[in-house]
Amino acid sequence: MVKFLQKIIFVATMAFGVWLTYYSLEHLQHIYIEATSQFMKFSVVLIFVFTMLIITRYMVLMFFSILQMIKRTADDNNEIYTNDVVTIIVPAYNEEDVLIPSLHGVLHQSYPNIEILVIDDGSKDRTYSIAKTFEFDDGRRSLKAYSKVNGGKSRALNYGIERAKGNLICAVDADSKLDYNAIELLVQHFQDPQIAAVAGSISVVNRDTFITKLQALEYIQGLNMVKNAQAFIKLVNIIPGPLGMFRKEAMKKVGYYSHDTFAEDCDLTLSLIAHGYKIEFEPDAVAYTEAPENLLDLLKQRYRWTRGILQAIKKNRSFLWRPIKKPAISFVMWYMLFESVFWPFMQIWGDLFMITLALTSGASQFLLFWWIMFTVLDIAGAIYCLLITKEKLSLAAYSIVYRLAFITVINIAKIFATIEEWFNIKMGWGKLERKGRIG
Amino acid sequence: MNLLSFLSMLILAITLLTMVFGVIAYFLYKAREKKKNVQGVTYEEALKEEDTELLFFTKDEDDSELLSK
Repeated sequence: MVKFLQKIIFVATMAFGVWLTYYSLEHLQHIYIEATSQFMKFSVVLIFVFTMLIITRYMVLMFFSILQMIKRTADDNNEIYTNDVVTIIVPAYNEEDVLIPSLHGVLHQSYPNIEILVIDDGSKDRTYSIAKTFEFDDGRRSLKAYSKVNGGKSRALNYGIERAKGNLICAVDADSKLDYNAIELLVQHFQDPQIAAVAGSISVVNRDTFITKLQALEYIQGLNMVKNAQAFIKLVNIIPGPLGMFRKEAMKKVGYYSHDTFAEDCDLTLSLIAHGYKIEFEPDAVAYTEAPENLLDLLKQRYRWTRGILQAIKKNRSFLWRPIKKPAISFVMWYMLFESVFWPFMQIWGDLFMITLALTSGASQFLLFWWIMFTVLDIAGAIYCLLITKEKLSLAAYSIVYRLAFITVINIAKIFATIEEWFNIKMGWGKLERKGRIG
Repeated sequence: MNLLSFLSMLILAITLLTMVFGVIAYFLYKAREKKKNVQGVTYEEALKEEDTELLFFTKDEDDSELLSK
């Protein structure tokens, strides 16, 4: 009964969203007819294109996500594959507060053949000595700690890969904790030789403040709508740092992790796709991570992500213009460019236009309906994702604040990051300070 | 003023304030990072960056006594 009611809520929200879209577009048509200047007419056309793009994005992602869910249910195979040795690499820099719960998560995996390598990247705290106390080798499973001179995450990962015995490499952030069956679920996808990597699902563990609840919702929506849809065509564009598994042979072919961007995971994924490999997503393989608890830390994280993604796009930009020869990588890169650059610019520009319109022509009721339209779409998307992940439906209420303020603040930071990347302004890695919440 | 007009004005005001807040928050973040970087530099790092020998003077109690005389 409860499930049926939830589905009714989802369908009703979607129907309301469609009605609001129709109403808003009709209103936009009136504004276009009444517009006196060419600039105003041009702006209305841009807003129309923007609105259509966003709605199409929503609908396409949700459609493919539903298809992927159906496909997964149909493919359900109970046979568990455990032959390959998996090397779990945990690069760590000043992680003494979170390393113990993280290693507990790795050690309590249901998958039997694992080799764990903790790579201390020149930490200034007790990271290495803590990792050392966990060392063991029982023949099937082992843990070994290494310490090297500080050189960044990508170098630490490559250092681990060089020493790995496994054919499958699992990169795990030291500030994340894996669910007990995460490795087992990821491994199953590698029975398909075309699969080079599988992205895990990320869940926010510290959902005790308003800002972290908003991020929890963002992660659930981003993963279950965007990544699920991408997985339908096996072209997931980013393997997240907290949990991702790679075929070692494929990594070797593309030269492992590179050191010239701040998004080594994104860069590696793009290289794999460019080489014709497929990338999957496993929604049930979960890594719990700590989300930034204050706004400035959140901006720092998003600033680094945006610049890292842009650096990876810039590095592989030649593929943007090869849609016929390399359709997969070209499509993925255009999509990433849309998400990281066009979409934030369009959203802020749209808001500015609406404010101008409301102040000059008094059409402020349109602003209200336009905002409600996107919020209702967000709520519908959130309800869908919360239903499939069996999360609390109450989290969907945060979509209102998400649309009203959160996304604008994040997009402003993304725009500034894009401008700084364009002008090649120097940046540092900017490690986030963790509070040790994953325990 | 009817409810729709009131809500429209409210959304307009929140949108405007959020944009201003977003810009301020970004510059606050940049200022914080700048401050952190200045505080966190070590002698070796500064030496590497400047490519020249640096001298640091420390003020001790004797100096303050001399200055007060």
